[in-house]
Amino acid sequence: MSYFAGIDIGSTAIKVALVDAEGKIKGVHVADSGSLFHKNAKEALRVLLEKNGVDRSEVKYLIATGYGRKLFKEADDSISEITANAIGAHETGKAYGGVRTIINIGGQDSKAIQIDDAGCVTNFVMNDKCAAGTGRFLDVAARNMDIDLEELGDYHFNGKGAPLSINSTCTVFAESEIIGLLANGHGKEEIVAGIHYSIAKRTVRLAKRVGIEDRVYFDGGPALNKGLVAAIQDELQRELVVPEYPQTTTAYGAAVLARSEYLADLKDGL
Amino acid sequence: MSNRSPERQPVPFHQSRQAREAEVMLDHIVDDFLENPAGMKYFYDLFRQVYIRGESLERQGPQVGITCIQAPEELIYAHGASPVRLCNGSYHYDQIGADFMPAKSCSLVKATLGMLCSENAIPKLGKLDLIVNPTTCDQKKKASVMMEGMDHVVHDLEFPNVKESEASRVYWQRSVRQFSERLRALTGEKLTKPKLRAAMAKTARAQKAFRTMNGFRKNSPAVFLGKDAFLVTNAYFFDDIERWTAALEVLNLELAEREKAAFNAAQKKAPRIVFTGSPPIFPNLKLPLLIEQAGGVVVADETCSANRMLYDMTAVDEWLLNDMVDSLADKYLKPCTCPIFTRNDDRLRRLLELASTFKADGVVYQSFAGCQVYEMEQRSVADALNKAGIPMLYIETDYSPDDMGQLSTRIEAFLESIKTRKRQQRT
Repeated sequence: MSYFAGIDIGSTAIKVALVDAEGKIKGVHVADSGSLFHKNAKEALRVLLEKNGVDRSEVKYLIATGYGRKLFKEADDSISEITANAIGAHETGKAYGGVRTIINIGGQDSKAIQIDDAGCVTNFVMNDKCAAGTGRFLDVAARNMDIDLEELGDYHFNGKGAPLSINSTCTVFAESEIIGLLANGHGKEEIVAGIHYSIAKRTVRLAKRVGIEDRVYFDGGPALNKGLVAAIQDELQRELVVPEYPQTTTAYGAAVLARSEYLADLKDGL
Repeated sequence: MSNRSPERQPVPFHQSRQAREAEVMLDHIVDDFLENPAGMKYFYDLFRQVYIRGESLERQGPQVGITCIQAPEELIYAHGASPVRLCNGSYHYDQIGADFMPAKSCSLVKATLGMLCSENAIPKLGKLDLIVNPTTCDQKKKASVMMEGMDHVVHDLEFPNVKESEASRVYWQRSVRQFSERLRALTGEKLTKPKLRAAMAKTARAQKAFRTMNGFRKNSPAVFLGKDAFLVTNAYFFDDIERWTAALEVLNLELAEREKAAFNAAQKKAPRIVFTGSPPIFPNLKLPLLIEQAGGVVVADETCSANRMLYDMTAVDEWLLNDMVDSLADKYLKPCTCPIFTRNDDRLRRLLELASTFKADGVVYQSFAGCQVYEMEQRSVADALNKAGIPMLYIETDYSPDDMGQLSTRIEAFLESIKTRKRQQRT
């Protein structure tokens, strides 16, 4: 059998996706990036193949994406995560009636991408430098409050009062703001909701710069957080399309591209 | 004023951080690309000599530092002095400047001031006899006093905010004449028609060579890369003008050969990019390099460190000396496409014209964090370009290398989207 793989080596997590000869998704796997990017990436790929009973030789083409893409020499090719994200979201979005705008929040950066009907990137924006409003921000905030990342969604919906406002534009300052609110006896639920709204506002501002069209797709690790999804929908005043595996869209996009690159090579007789 | 930098133990220049920074960048410019033109060797060596080994260059007469391209060089030459442009692209000097400049100010201004007050300034400067500071952008305007505080002699060259009005024109012509008086006081040489004509001929020859080089960039596929074009114009900042022109003429001959042989300096389908906004100044060629390392090619630029500065020739031969000076002044005002003017539709027109003449696929717009005029203008520029079907990537950055990973992702994505677009148009 022939399979095609995409590996997205991000700042926080490594995501691997495998598609079969028809381009249908066969399996995904997520692992921590850790400090040994390259070793962990190879390991993540091995685990994915093992889980799905696929031999490495059956993977005909492998495309790497994400910050670590250039260091992953095992890949046949590499592509920027923006293009890979667009392809993945376009493919996944078909089941939802097609998407045109993508909001992606990653570990270190957030981006908004606009695609056309064919899934090609027409415009994109990315946060400049600062990690405010990204997964890292959620991570730091959760740790401050002694909450597991997975529980943030529950806290968001269990608040009794209005979400508190977190105004700092910097992760570090926001951290001290959160500590201040805790010290003043505010409930964690209201603070969590406040954090989600603060990220949502920033993200929507970014998305407006790229122009919001049609259905908006939301992916990246933080899209697993239902509270954040609700906050963004609220700020955006429209429904979001959140896929089943939001974290692996980009890896899936790379796998889809790997398949078409392989087929194109075959056609060219390479 | 105690603006002197706190470099406590002066190290020899070639061991300094700024020299290492320049070396790293120059190595990228030279080694990351195959088949650099042989004629570029002169320029690579020049940067090595000045920015890395720290040897000073021989130039004629008093040294007049200029902080902006709006200072008429022809006048400086005609008075027997040599201009040297002070714009700086070094992250190290940027950090020195950050000691006394607002955090949100432009890297270029910070680095220039940082260099001027550093114990270990780039030796190409030698001793500056005068600094002429055109009052163009706000940050440069306010720099005059600081430069004086660093014991430099500064002449403010008054520059108008509007370029269309007759009042501005007269005002500017008077400023230029005052500048000429100041130069006379410095060098003791009176301005005469033959001297001015000779100076104009000298810069015209340089401009002609530059135009020829630029002409080769219209070729598709590209005969040479944008990073080399930037290096050539950056060398013009401080090299002896005649040596520079001669070296460029040699390079042009080689480029003509390459053109004949249909030589490819980039990949065949490399997206062709027009570069605009804040100027790439050595060693901060970060963005042009990232573009070309990612497989694009910078075919034209609209910045004050390259195209804009050497675009037009002065073919002025009026009957009277005063009229000559006036037309020289006009040449510095009318075609100027700097965003500091209240209105400047010429900049948009010029960008669109560049994109079509140089068959560009996209525009990369660099704005140094803290450069308000470019930040404010980018939206209208993007709108105008998009209307013409040309995608634009806006990037706000500074001299620090911190954001290179993120920038390379954005640039690659931009080039990938251009490629997909072209592929779709073909099929």
